[in-house]
Amino acid sequence: MSNMDTHIDRKVVLQLYRTMQLIRQTEEELARCHQRGLVHGACHTYVGQEAIASAVCSNLNDHDAVFSTHRGHGHALAKGMKPLELIAELFGREAGCSRGRGGSMHLFSPEIGMMGTSGIVGPCILQACGGGYSSKILKNGTVGVAFFGDGAANNAAFHEGLNMASIWKLPVLFICENNQFATEVPFAYAAGNSSVASRGAAYGIPGIEVDGNDVIGIYRVAKEAVSRARAGEGPTLIECKTYRTRPHAEGMGDFTYRTKDDVEQWKQRCPILRLRTRFSAEYSSEFDAIDQEILEQVRAARAEAEASPEPTSESAMTHIYSPPQIVVKEKPSPDRESKVITFSQATLEALTEEMAVNPNIFVMGEGIGIRGGNFLTTKGLYAIHGPERLCDTPICERGFVGLACGAAMTGTRPVIDFMFADFVLDGLGEIINQIAKMQYMSSGRLKMPVLLRGCIGIGHSAATHHSGSYYGMLAQVPGLKVVVPSMASDAKGLLKHALRCHDPVLFLEHREILQTKEAVPVDEYEIEFGKARVIQAGSSVTVVAIARMVHLVLAASESLKQQGISVELIDPRTVTPLDSDTILQSLAKTGRLLIVDEAPAHCGFSAEIAARMVDVGFNELDAPIKRLTGAFCPTPYSPSLEKVVVPSVEDIVKSVVQLMQE
Amino acid sequence: MAEEIRFPRLGWSMEEGRFVQWLKSDGDLVREGEILFEMEGEKALQEIESVGNGILKIAADAPQPDEVVQVGRLLGYLLLPNEKVPEDGSPSQPTVLTDVQPKADEQGPQGIEPAEDSISESRVIATPRARRLAQETGVVWSELVGSGRDGRIREADVRNAAKALNVSSQGVHKDGANRFTPRRKMIAERLRMSREQTIPVTLTTQVDVSQLVAYREMQKKMQNVRVPAFTDLFAKHVAIVLARHPAMSIRWNHDHTELHDVPASEFHIGIAVDTSDGLLVPVIRDVSTKSLDEIVSQSKALIEKARSGRLTREEMSGGVLSITNLGSFGIDAFTPIINAPEIAILGLGAIRREPMFDAYGQVKAVERMVLSLTFDHAAVDGAPAAAFLKDLVSEIESVH
Repeated sequence: MSNMDTHIDRKVVLQLYRTMQLIRQTEEELARCHQRGLVHGACHTYVGQEAIASAVCSNLNDHDAVFSTHRGHGHALAKGMKPLELIAELFGREAGCSRGRGGSMHLFSPEIGMMGTSGIVGPCILQACGGGYSSKILKNGTVGVAFFGDGAANNAAFHEGLNMASIWKLPVLFICENNQFATEVPFAYAAGNSSVASRGAAYGIPGIEVDGNDVIGIYRVAKEAVSRARAGEGPTLIECKTYRTRPHAEGMGDFTYRTKDDVEQWKQRCPILRLRTRFSAEYSSEFDAIDQEILEQVRAARAEAEASPEPTSESAMTHIYSPPQIVVKEKPSPDRESKVITFSQATLEALTEEMAVNPNIFVMGEGIGIRGGNFLTTKGLYAIHGPERLCDTPICERGFVGLACGAAMTGTRPVIDFMFADFVLDGLGEIINQIAKMQYMSSGRLKMPVLLRGCIGIGHSAATHHSGSYYGMLAQVPGLKVVVPSMASDAKGLLKHALRCHDPVLFLEHREILQTKEAVPVDEYEIEFGKARVIQAGSSVTVVAIARMVHLVLAASESLKQQGISVELIDPRTVTPLDSDTILQSLAKTGRLLIVDEAPAHCGFSAEIAARMVDVGFNELDAPIKRLTGAFCPTPYSPSLEKVVVPSVEDIVKSVVQLMQE
Repeated sequence: MAEEIRFPRLGWSMEEGRFVQWLKSDGDLVREGEILFEMEGEKALQEIESVGNGILKIAADAPQPDEVVQVGRLLGYLLLPNEKVPEDGSPSQPTVLTDVQPKADEQGPQGIEPAEDSISESRVIATPRARRLAQETGVVWSELVGSGRDGRIREADVRNAAKALNVSSQGVHKDGANRFTPRRKMIAERLRMSREQTIPVTLTTQVDVSQLVAYREMQKKMQNVRVPAFTDLFAKHVAIVLARHPAMSIRWNHDHTELHDVPASEFHIGIAVDTSDGLLVPVIRDVSTKSLDEIVSQSKALIEKARSGRLTREEMSGGVLSITNLGSFGIDAFTPIINAPEIAILGLGAIRREPMFDAYGQVKAVERMVLSLTFDHAAVDGAPAAAFLKDLVSEIESVH
């Protein structure tokens, strides 16, 4: 092989050997610990594949970001994680790299660029693209690296990620560790094109196949790929053909899908043995010394991990969100100078102001570049900030949401503009499994300032793929904040806060109220999440409404006033966090509560408020809590059908009158 | 035959009480001796046992939890299987259902629980908010006609009733709560009765309690977990002295027409306890035959029960004399009210360090307190009462 031809530096050889041996011995120790019951959950070892992580990571520095898989122990160690941190994490101890929150499949050490292993196949590819995108925005020369198995090569994330990396020339390495089985399904069966490397051509990027058990060979290929990436020449796909010689996970049977002979043959091709044989003449005594040193290091790490304490139970609920941002400039009182503008103009002002002061903000979406957004959400910004910060995307919602996740993890502040929130659903796995959980899983060491915005709402025959209201569902996800403004001035202040806080925010704008107007203060301000607004004070009945329903209740309350019924209207403004106190205070005054929501009642926003008020406000109730909601039905197209699945002003009037008679 | 369950009279003066809650559910099979419901009599919570067997049928107009109820009100019935609730409220024969009749649930409303529908129709329902206001204003909401759906009583109904009662403006504090609670009302009635039926005279004198103070200090130093309170010490000495004063160891009968001797073996001493719900007087049993240590542990347990509202009526009756202590508030002398049918009550004042001439004319510092003995002049004259008090003083001062 050509590798034999050129000289390899002694230091490199010994370093590669040391890393591989550290991985091997740590994994074997973990396998023993798993048998002893010290590892509580899954344990997917990297035995047999050590050459790949060792070779790739030896070309990286601490600022380069590695995104890994469920089989990630080797990546973590190669990236520089201490064996103690890895072993303690699998033991569920405080000294673990994720402070006992993650285990084998959630190894985080962002301080050294180890951005996490993942229990889900695929997202690491998109997150590495995000790391690459951050590098472009921050211009810091860093590289994003995705390690993934052959299983991920058949996942949509592979397609979307490689395409995005290609069109934006992202500094990313896609390292496919083809160990020939996705869990237990053979790649030969699962792939129409059994060469992963050849697929690079489909996206216009270099695809290189390399012997995954030849550490020197991978080292050279990776070195070149990293140089290309840092030089702005774009991504490289590297397929490393290898084999894991232990079962998929410790404790699992291994010979239903492969034979003992297969495994034995591959053991003969052990990458560590191979390097040792090749350089035995030069470095035999150094290798022996390293073996002994690693043995002692791993033993000591295991003993220390075993002796280290478990996390205290009080810490179980910490780091779900970042510490709250202090709101410096609150919304000015109504008597201050203001101007009447539309909801759309208000949010555009907020984004424009924040992009001007924070160069780390970039926006991604379909048609948000020169076009300025389908709903004019980015009007005029492309001219100021250019294509990198106003980035038009292919139609690959999962792809660019996953990219946003990786970007936020690596120091930028992505704004994803979905146009219609229904499109959120294609990226839901990335939002729920990755974006929402990342701060917690990293024990608060990663911040996730991702803003995901899109239009919701029924009206104008948008039909069922352009009209959903998903805040009830999204509000159930710990780690997300869900903002649903109804008024222009609130929309501006809330969007400003969303662009300053460090948590992922779903910002959902009802399409039918984008042109409604309100007096918006001229002075700069932001509005903290979790503070409801009393839109209108009243004494007979409390009505809680959100988004467009706020406007409908205002209209209804005019005619109710004629009947002597005084409506107190409360807009929670954010669904997560939800301000129960303001609702309770109002209920204490009126004794009656109606919740009006366009989304269906079942397990929804209205159900949550009703349940909370029955709990904390039981003695305040002078009537049953009533809900007026949209139908449990996909949104129909025909106007005659559409109007009956969403509450109207007349419905609200009727419901309030009925509630007064209870 | 249907057996009626009525709201019982727990004490001779009890006219009404608070129905706290059922401890059995409608339809439960109840056996004699099982606890049926909880009520509050004159001062204490009491668990009421069933005196019969049968299936509990709660009356249609049975009181709601916490409702104030007249003694004798019908609460429900104990029925035999297949027996109907008497329609006119009087017990009736069970309805005969023969074996040949089909299963009850196929018979609709004529099935096993024929009264179910009529009961739910006539059940009075009030909103939580209305109930709260009713409690605050003293309105008995179960007697109102509701203006809400299906006759549900709402806040407005209670408010109107409160206005009619004129309690909304007078009985209600500015925070809205009526402080004249049923408990308070019962205490007031007892005290008023005492005022009406007894002729109270209060004697005061000073007593040197230096020895008692020293004794307690010593107990504290020994880190005794049961350091006796002054009330405990006085209870012990009162029992000793009472045995020498038969004129004072007497009690009225239940209707206040006869006086009876109380033998020393039955000297039960009441101790006044201030609780968040008002004054309660639990009784320490058999003080003459008990050691001080036993008295202390009994009084501690009683005080704790009083403060948590778990005293039974038994634990508050049968005393020969009661002791009340306002010393901790710095009160010297006062005129305690007799806890009838007892004929005397002893008030303890604040302990003060004062100079005193001893038998040799030397000034020395002593710990003194004022004793206030209120006795019922209808039952005993001033001289025997004063003699008792004098004897008590010497008893206390001779403690070593």
